[in-house]
Amino acid sequence: MRYLQGLLRRWGHPSDIFAEAWDDACKDQVRPASDYARAAGQDSVLVVHHSFESRLVPLIARAPGRKVLVYHNVTPARLFEGFERKVAAACDAARDELLALRPHVERAFAYSRFSAEELVAAGYRNVSVLPFAIDWGAFDTAPDPALRAELGDGCANVLFVGRAVPSKKVDDVLRVFTAYQKLYQPLSRLVVAGYLHRDGAYGAYLHGLKDVLGAERVRFLGRVSAAQLSACFATATTYLSMSRHEGFGVPLLEAMYRGVPVVAYGAAAVPETMGGAGLATLSDDPAEVAELLAVLERNTALRGQVISAQRARLASLSQDAVAEQVRVAFEGVLSGRVAPSPAPPPAAPVELVCPGFTVRPEEAASRMARSLAERLPGARILALRPRGAEPALALGPEDVGGVPVWHFTPDQPPGRAPAPLPGASSLETAVRVSSAPVVLLGADTEVARAVLPHVRERAWGTYEGPPAGPHLESARQHLGRRLVVLEPSRPEDALRTLLSALPSTGGVSRAT
Amino acid sequence: MRPEDLLTRTPTAEAVARETAKLPQPSEEAREALRRSLEAASRPATPAPWPALLQEARGKMDSRYAEPATSHRGGLAGLALVVSKRAFRRVFQPFINEVLRKQVEFNESILDALATIHDVQREHARTQATWRQEMEHRLARLEAAAGRAASGGREDGPLPAEPPTAKPGPINKG
Repeated sequence: MRYLQGLLRRWGHPSDIFAEAWDDACKDQVRPASDYARAAGQDSVLVVHHSFESRLVPLIARAPGRKVLVYHNVTPARLFEGFERKVAAACDAARDELLALRPHVERAFAYSRFSAEELVAAGYRNVSVLPFAIDWGAFDTAPDPALRAELGDGCANVLFVGRAVPSKKVDDVLRVFTAYQKLYQPLSRLVVAGYLHRDGAYGAYLHGLKDVLGAERVRFLGRVSAAQLSACFATATTYLSMSRHEGFGVPLLEAMYRGVPVVAYGAAAVPETMGGAGLATLSDDPAEVAELLAVLERNTALRGQVISAQRARLASLSQDAVAEQVRVAFEGVLSGRVAPSPAPPPAAPVELVCPGFTVRPEEAASRMARSLAERLPGARILALRPRGAEPALALGPEDVGGVPVWHFTPDQPPGRAPAPLPGASSLETAVRVSSAPVVLLGADTEVARAVLPHVRERAWGTYEGPPAGPHLESARQHLGRRLVVLEPSRPEDALRTLLSALPSTGGVSRAT
Repeated sequence: MRPEDLLTRTPTAEAVARETAKLPQPSEEAREALRRSLEAASRPATPAPWPALLQEARGKMDSRYAEPATSHRGGLAGLALVVSKRAFRRVFQPFINEVLRKQVEFNESILDALATIHDVQREHARTQATWRQEMEHRLARLEAAAGRAASGGREDGPLPAEPPTAKPGPINKG
């Protein structure tokens, strides 16, 4: 944010930062958010950075002037489940705020196509991707000599940098490291540099997990200084991230900058951040990911290739290149010109939510979605993109076997059957903003669980097999008799029930 | 690692997969030991509802709003009291909100802290139970192995140790 402010000032535009809360270190650079309405005029431009619950939407709505959104992405609440119920509730509230901001914003930026896709799904106009500005010079701090000596004792150091919160899946980092240590390199150490709330449930879980797994030489450093962080990178053999959610992923690029090969689980915007450099994997199997750590440690030639590719990746993110891209992106905003936004696509009469339609076409839910789409003119199927497919800013129908399908990027790579399908924030947002009746083909999927509280009055659902499991119980509570069993051997029963119930076929009256 | 599970351009996914296939194969015992410890440590993400013992306090957390106005008096006097209580509330609610704002924030914080302590205790208990089970399984395996060794006429032979891990490879730090 300070970088963007610096650019704006350099281009001759006075700029202030307004916030609700801030660190002491930047108290001279920030003004209270409540001052904004008084400070702004009709020709002011408010750039709203959104990533967490702020409770500032009413203030933003009242404020004079034009408004622009910069979306950093919001972590899906489900990633905090079981550990941080307050943070999970705040994440849900932040997604509600994202939708509440939409009418007030004339243009929206995101730091990745993954995040931009959600903005498009939410119905934002004029969405584009803004390059993430990184102050590379800040990484050139000299390493802390004491920590460098301590960590540089000949062990193969696997490093993770970031807050130890459930969404970063530090527990999976521990699992992968354990596999690496037990299968390939006993003389290894895991270094986790970043805030860890030791008195919290996740902190207790991590420490317990370390004991149960029996991994040795695991260091939770907590918050570290810039010099200590440099020491961590200087002694690292590989950088490992198993994070399930990144709106962009700066530490991955920092590792690349410092010449440490990166192994990362390809969730959310991680593959996009890595841009084909490093080793992004769609597998979260600890033994398989440990193979990548081992091969990078042992094979000097391969390691060299990876590091070279990482350096090449960073070339496109130089400060000058990024500043020019930001200038071009903000040109329209600062000149007062707003590009005409394309007309929104016509609303579908029925939303057929079938996450596995493309990735698991043989499943009964996918076949049912196809049958429904063929019988309901204009109905649209909403599904997950296949593994490895890149996010897109233009959401629209793609022909899948003669049926139009709207694809959305999953929050994590879909695993192989029978692993449950992951959620998809953009798909869930698209369902929420639609006013059409919704058929959840797979009422026990993550997507269905996320959208049901918001669409329960206009939703129908199907499930296969015995009615068991907490997700299905939740669906039953929301849907009651609108939850239909789908027998793979007799799908026509469910098809008949749904066709007779859905409003576009003359069934029950359309819900609002 | 399968090439289709890798997203990398340089080196190619196929090249990386080929190199992983050349890694020395860990022993079956080491793989099995790892599988067991990963299985013991697995923990599906399940929603953690508010602890039951805090539910009542949570219901009373927001002290700004009182119960519906009532009076133990009957007749007109009671009715007048109820009406005046409601009127008082309506007129003074904004001031009550302001006066009790800090109290509500404190209630919320203390409940969060109690819930966190509860969750941490739950995690500790779960970890200890898992760890104890794992120890018992290991002991049972050692006893079974010792029994087999004894029945094979090697009563004084050494007990099998935990599966050996791979030999350390050369460490490259780029």
